[in-house]
Amino acid sequence: MKQLRRDYNALNNPPKVGKNTFLKLLAKQWVNYSFVLPAAIFLLVFIAYPVLFNFRMSFQDVRAINLLNGGADWVGLTNYRTILANTVFHQAARNTLIFTAGSVLFQLSIGLALALFYNLEFPGSRWMRGLYLIAWTIPIIVVAAVFRWLFDGQVGVFNYWLESLRIIEDNIFWLSEPDVALGAIIFINIWLGIPFNMALLLAGLQGIPHELYEAAEIDGANVPQRFAFITFPLLRPALFAVTLLGLIYTFKVFDVVWATTQGGPFNTTHLVATLAFRTIFVQFQFGTGAAMLNLLFVVLFGISLLYLWNLRYEEAR
Amino acid sequence: MRLRNLASLSLSVLSVLMLSAFLFPIYWMVITALKPQRAIFANPPEFIPRNIDWSVWGNIFISNPDVPRYFLNSAIVGIGTTLLTLALAAPAAYGIAHLPIRGKGLIILVSLSSLMFPVVMLATPLFVIFSRLGLTDSYIGLILANTALALPFALVVLRPFFLTLPLQLTEAARIDGCTAWGAFARIMLPLASPGLITAAIFTFLFGWNDLVFALTLTNTDQFRPVTAGLWTFIGVNNTDWNSVMAFSTLAMLPPLAVFLTAQRYVVAGLTSGAVKQ
Repeated sequence: MKQLRRDYNALNNPPKVGKNTFLKLLAKQWVNYSFVLPAAIFLLVFIAYPVLFNFRMSFQDVRAINLLNGGADWVGLTNYRTILANTVFHQAARNTLIFTAGSVLFQLSIGLALALFYNLEFPGSRWMRGLYLIAWTIPIIVVAAVFRWLFDGQVGVFNYWLESLRIIEDNIFWLSEPDVALGAIIFINIWLGIPFNMALLLAGLQGIPHELYEAAEIDGANVPQRFAFITFPLLRPALFAVTLLGLIYTFKVFDVVWATTQGGPFNTTHLVATLAFRTIFVQFQFGTGAAMLNLLFVVLFGISLLYLWNLRYEEAR
Repeated sequence: MRLRNLASLSLSVLSVLMLSAFLFPIYWMVITALKPQRAIFANPPEFIPRNIDWSVWGNIFISNPDVPRYFLNSAIVGIGTTLLTLALAAPAAYGIAHLPIRGKGLIILVSLSSLMFPVVMLATPLFVIFSRLGLTDSYIGLILANTALALPFALVVLRPFFLTLPLQLTEAARIDGCTAWGAFARIMLPLASPGLITAAIFTFLFGWNDLVFALTLTNTDQFRPVTAGLWTFIGVNNTDWNSVMAFSTLAMLPPLAVFLTAQRYVVAGLTSGAVKQ
């Protein structure tokens, strides 16, 4: 058996070879590679190539006329100059920052509060906490339709409640008044993000050994002390990961805004992703839109590297 | 003891209140679709409907005969995406977890980082490429595009599942005369089925819920999925909340059913992949 294992290992561990013998190795071990190659080719064709395609397009003057034959002129950095000089882009960039900061802050704190609550044992705790995820499961276009109805200026329930509580006096058209539209969209996105934050933080909380709390209780630690010296330090890796993921996923949000306001009124709710979408699929300025997406990508890539670096560190422990 | 029971019971009550408040929008959608047209504009609003009126549900199908078609399209795209993704991801995740292969790290890196892409960034080049190849307005185009989103996620979710399975199992099967693929299909796949179910559920939800590809890669009702159909429907019936809510409820039901039947897999997938689109 031991001999067999040794033979098997020798068969499966490739000897160290230079790159020029890669093909030889491939021929010898084609069975192993046959498991991975289809997926690798798919990733190459449908992810890596499109990203490079997008990068190239951002340096070209691609419009509806020259879209299909590929004969667009190279224009260097013109597309990037155009968007950096565009005040609507400035507004979209500012909105993206406000939208991301507002969404992540509230998703995280409400998600954490709910996770701490549902980490307690009480009748129904288990199945009730699962039901929050319904918000995460259903199509965003459906969520958008419901909130358009709740936020409706004339007969929406939100106005009814706020008026009965005397918080506001007159009807507010939440999604079509420039002052409040971005806030209303952030509200919707917080609602959408709470279950995700809650589920991940709850998993983090459940990973904390129960004995620690028992020991602390014996030592006379009260509830705030137990939170400060056990829960918080041990939850910090999960909190860090959830925060970074929240930043990444919020930064690239498209559906929520496009399905509710399409960036309006007067561009007050445009995010970089929705502005890029409008530039490309409504105005057919493919080159300019691609440049916007690339700028968005650079920022996302930076945060992603931070997340991946953190993941590596976590796995190494 | 009695005090402790009382305390945990009050926590249950609090939990019911919070959950009801959180899910109120969904309740409001469903009951709006069940009210007669006039009751919708009642002030104060009818929080518990006095009369149930199903008429609007029939009207949707009469005013837009393509609605059943949208659902069929979404089912085809959702199931097609699931099958293609699993067919590609299961062997690849196994290979990355267990076989001596060069470039594993690169595949994982590409998968993880592609989860961070804005969908629009993928939709733009795919629209141009698919337009040139004549793949817009086709199931295959939608399935390929959605698989591009789902495959990286499936790889990230499945790899840990295969890592937990002992390598000795395939070794034993190989010694007994199984081929590499035979050992994978007969021994590893059945053992990895919880992971496969998780990946399948997420992939189906990605496919059904996708809006970006649905809007950019379809132009005709023949191939339009539910999400894009609802989008168009809202545009036309802007203030007819009755029927917009009824259509929304219908569009929600399939993913909701999938979620409710397979809830524990969803939680497992969320925490193992830590991913949301």
